[in-house]
Amino acid sequence: MRRKPSRPRSRRAKAISSKSSPEGPAEAVPQRDEIAEEIYAVQQIYALRLKRVELAPSVALSLNDPYLKHYGLGLALNYWFTNVLALGVNFNWYDWGTNPLERGTNIIPRIQNQFRLGVPINDWQMGLWVNFTYVPFYGKFKVRKKIFQWDSYLIGGVGIMRTQPIPVFDAAVRSFDWQTNVAFNVGIGLRIFLTRYLTFFTEFRAYMWPDQFENVDVAPDDADRNNPDTWLQSDSTFVANTSIQIGLTFFFPTRDYQLPK
Amino acid sequence: MMMLAKQTLSRISFMAVLASCLLLGDGMRNGASSASAQEVHVSGPLAGAPAVKKLRLWRDMRLHLEPFFAFTIGDEYSRSLIVGGELRFHFLDWLGIGGWGGYSVAQLDTNLSEEIQGKGVTTNANRLDLPTRQNFSQQVGKLNWWSGVEVHFVPFRGKLAMFQKVFFDADLDFFVGAAFVGVEERADAVGLPSPGDVSECQIEGDPNADPGCLGSQLARSKRTAIAPSFGIAFSAFFQDFLGISFRWRGIPFKYNTGGTDNNNDGRIDSNDRLKQFNSMFTVGLIFVLPPKIKTTD
Repeated sequence: MRRKPSRPRSRRAKAISSKSSPEGPAEAVPQRDEIAEEIYAVQQIYALRLKRVELAPSVALSLNDPYLKHYGLGLALNYWFTNVLALGVNFNWYDWGTNPLERGTNIIPRIQNQFRLGVPINDWQMGLWVNFTYVPFYGKFKVRKKIFQWDSYLIGGVGIMRTQPIPVFDAAVRSFDWQTNVAFNVGIGLRIFLTRYLTFFTEFRAYMWPDQFENVDVAPDDADRNNPDTWLQSDSTFVANTSIQIGLTFFFPTRDYQLPK
Repeated sequence: MMMLAKQTLSRISFMAVLASCLLLGDGMRNGASSASAQEVHVSGPLAGAPAVKKLRLWRDMRLHLEPFFAFTIGDEYSRSLIVGGELRFHFLDWLGIGGWGGYSVAQLDTNLSEEIQGKGVTTNANRLDLPTRQNFSQQVGKLNWWSGVEVHFVPFRGKLAMFQKVFFDADLDFFVGAAFVGVEERADAVGLPSPGDVSECQIEGDPNADPGCLGSQLARSKRTAIAPSFGIAFSAFFQDFLGISFRWRGIPFKYNTGGTDNNNDGRIDSNDRLKQFNSMFTVGLIFVLPPKIKTTD
């Protein structure tokens, strides 16, 4: 809804007009005319992103992986080359040196016991992406007497995701190294400005990549069973995992900048 | 296992707190101690004036009628697509009460459900859990209808610009209440002759034996689950009488999601219900009555 700004109206004496008289020459008399002045009070943009660097540490939590929970620490670095468009990188680290099955949900044993079904599972080590960020929405909200500025942004990019199959179907023989996959991501985020250079943000990201999982079939003869070429499925599976990330962003330089008049 | 998982979480939490402290500490040294959003300092004739004049009261003493479409998220075996409506009345611009209801017009199998239907294996050891893999989708728990009453708080409101061209009034609506959900689960049954070695079932209320538990897999029972509900909605208004809302609602309660013997006691019954954090995402169109909006001075 476009809101029409209030229009303070001022009245002032404006002109001196001539008044004709039948008895003599024209006599100048002051006259009060009404002029409606429209004064638009427009608040300057509170925080500018233009030509600033943004550093954003965050924590990440996977949302839709039914088998494993993934906890990550992230760091993003963006450069805003316009006030609404940035180019940057973000990095998430997920491998904390523990057995990934410790992070397994309780659905894994249920599937194994109740349906005699093994599910190939991959763990994550890290992801690194180059992203564009675009800010189509911005606004402000009021909490008591404070006005908070916020914006909402779209983010997307390409990068790599390193994953590793967890040996389940023939754990006595198979072991896997980390494999690097080309990955894509898209997301949407919300940023609330606490100061002109410090914000709180939360974003929803979908990370997608073609991943190779452990082969569910175990070769009957030892030669093939011990051949690493048979340990992975021949086809890749397209994986789309969603995460929520929460963190802070710092805009540099932090000093006050000159807003346009 | 849980112990080690906690250790992992503790390590991550410690590192996150440490990193935050370092970064915040650096920010404080640079003058971040005044991290208190934007202060509005007004002097002159506007000093002491209210923060907002001509504030548009989107909710005050108005009725919101909201038809919506929703889908559940995070389900183990079956997702629900829901069509419904919501009615809210607001006594104040920031406080209201409402009721909502919806019907699941479709149920979609999850990937896991399809995997089980394609690759699940049945033996006497798990026959009670999976009599046949082909009919697995008919034994899973389903949520057929939804309703609830909720109190709504709207503490935050503001306006937003889209592409620096279009401007909306918007607010955040927090709500809490009670929900009533129509749950359809696999009917109670006992695996015979013994747990872990089941060749037939005895369906509750049916004296006849059920060879292979094939009848038990299709037998259903229905009940109404009562649960807390809560959530948050983002609403934006385009006209005095029209808006749109994006709503997330959580409704945690127990039910037997897979129609399986989850406590391994050799029978399907209420003790097999598992805690589920059921949640849904909703998109709705808000019609406001009366259509003419009030504004403050």
